[in-house]
Amino acid sequence: MIAVDISRLAARNLREAKLRTALTTTGVAIGVGALTCMVSFGVGIQEQLFGQFLKSGLFDTITVASARLGIGPGMRGRPERAASPNAHGGAKAMAPAPLLDDDALKKFAAIDRVREVYPNVRVPVEIKYGSFSEFTAAAGVPMSARNEGVFRNMSRGSFFPGDTADACILSQNLADRMAEGDAGKLIGRKVRLSFASSTAGSPEATPFTIGGISLKREEKEFTIAGVLESGPSMGFGMLSPVMIPLNKAMEMGVTDISNPQTLLSQLSDRRTYGAVTVKVKRPEDVDEAEKKIKEMGFTAFSLNDAMQGAKRGFLLLDLLLGLIGSIALTVASLGIVNTMVMSILERTREIGIMKAVGGDDRDIRLIFLVEASIIGLTGGLMGILLGWVVGRAINFGANIYIQSQGGPTGDLFSLPAWLIGGAIIFSILLSLLAGSYPASRAARLDPIQALRHD
Amino acid sequence: MEITNYIEAERLHCVLCSVPEETLETVLEAFDVTKHYQMGQTVVRALDGISISVKSGEFVGVLGTSGSGKSTLLNLIAGLDRPTSGALKVFSRDLAQMSRHELSLHRRRNVGMVFQSFNLIPTMTALENVALALLFAGVPLREREEHAHALLDSVGLGARQSHRPRELSGGEQQRVAMARALANSPHVLLADEPTGNLDSRTAYEILELFAELNARDGKTVVLVTHDAALAARHVSRSVTLLDGRIVEEPRSL
Repeated sequence: MIAVDISRLAARNLREAKLRTALTTTGVAIGVGALTCMVSFGVGIQEQLFGQFLKSGLFDTITVASARLGIGPGMRGRPERAASPNAHGGAKAMAPAPLLDDDALKKFAAIDRVREVYPNVRVPVEIKYGSFSEFTAAAGVPMSARNEGVFRNMSRGSFFPGDTADACILSQNLADRMAEGDAGKLIGRKVRLSFASSTAGSPEATPFTIGGISLKREEKEFTIAGVLESGPSMGFGMLSPVMIPLNKAMEMGVTDISNPQTLLSQLSDRRTYGAVTVKVKRPEDVDEAEKKIKEMGFTAFSLNDAMQGAKRGFLLLDLLLGLIGSIALTVASLGIVNTMVMSILERTREIGIMKAVGGDDRDIRLIFLVEASIIGLTGGLMGILLGWVVGRAINFGANIYIQSQGGPTGDLFSLPAWLIGGAIIFSILLSLLAGSYPASRAARLDPIQALRHD
Repeated sequence: MEITNYIEAERLHCVLCSVPEETLETVLEAFDVTKHYQMGQTVVRALDGISISVKSGEFVGVLGTSGSGKSTLLNLIAGLDRPTSGALKVFSRDLAQMSRHELSLHRRRNVGMVFQSFNLIPTMTALENVALALLFAGVPLREREEHAHALLDSVGLGARQSHRPRELSGGEQQRVAMARALANSPHVLLADEPTGNLDSRTAYEILELFAELNARDGKTVVLVTHDAALAARHVSRSVTLLDGRIVEEPRSL
């Protein structure tokens, strides 16, 4: 028997019992709809959350510090214990650790999938604005950060106009203190930043020295380009109350006196950094790059581990939602069993006739299995549509509520291709499973009994 | 591709059907065939030791009263059931030894069945009912319908092919059933009281059709009937069953 003919026969049988087929298919559609809707919700929530995380630019970031010193300035993460041999003491601690110099940066940049490498320059400064004066920290921010996380939607003003502009961005917190609440008027105004600068080899008088390094106080005028909204990545990495262009910071020769290594390196020609930020192309690439950096002997840290945990959590949530959704589909598949058994009772004589004219057990079984899978496929397609419509409706209502509560709106339901395909395949498989008992019952019918059946 | 080619092609694949010329002489041989049914506590001996032989081209009438076992015998020959004991050879192959699958192939290729109650599928047209027999043989739709139409034409129902069974008279329904029985060009036609639900005039016409297929096309026909007078006009010989045994030796008329 040809596949086309089996399908034709099966479709014809389904048409013969239109109402019953329609009701059973609707049952499957509701089941698939519930499943799709549930999982779609789980996926949607996950995408919302991870979307925000990814926008923050944290999950594609590895912070590298020199192994000997462990934690670098501006880095709040815990250092790798194994990479801090100081904790153990002894000869091991004296093993030469690689320097975080420009060569190291080049090596990082050469790692596969690495997008960008820049040093974390973070220095103590005194900021002066009118009568306001405060000791705080200034961080060098690369121009590429323009499109990342908190810099994308600044509450006021804009990003630095250029690499070496005398411009700065202030945190909301600092700006509020400076302007006494009206941070908006700060944009375009000038502030003065005082910082320590190394004067090694300079003929100028040295106001003070630390460990033989001559330092002098320098002051520079900066234009306030923008005010940063406090975001999820506040306080991590390059963010600090005052941000200036990275190249500007390096060009100025800003010295981070809080980091002995940086301080000591002023004695040599080779410039080293307390910490370096390595950005990879996609969050998935973090693991590989982090491993390679650690192999070079540096301490590296990323939030990837935390994300992996969250991902596992969401997988469990999806499974749970899928299970709840599957209950409806299981009930629907019992409906298929019922429909098929009824159908076989009604068509017993017909099955007998088919056997009498040469229909094989296999042919009969296939006809019924195809009938079941047609119900599964149709129900699956309708169910996805149903699940999508219900998801849209709930999303619409929920967003109105969220908006009224002042929360961020977004798609709470997501219907990726794998979910559509998976739901249809699951629906067909479950239908086949439901149809397998009735189908083999039909196939095993005794033709003589079947022919006598009224 | 001609329809007969499809059927022949399929037949070649079937060991059952590759019938050597010399064995064509004897189409059917039964040796001490019994068929027992369990009915509650008692065992019903529907067939109690039947031995019979049918040669190619014969028109054999199986006579007997209701419950004599004649329908049971026909069902065994048709491969719808297996004997309890004994050997039942069709084209030298013992049906008792066949698997379910082999029996379905036997029903499809070797025999065509006609029933008292016609056994047409009520939701299908005459054409579809005839074509159904070809469907299981794997004949494509277009060829199936062409061949089914030709068969209906040959039984005088070409103009009624789009009618459903309930729109046809009893005689017409039985002609559709005969066209269906002929669909796969079987060598043997098995008829179980084919005239039981028909008036005498229609019954005569149906038997004439069997006789014609026997005489013109050389089909071997086994006809089960309780109407000895009706059968006597067409059959080449008859056997009579009583309580599952042959009471009258096969004799030529």
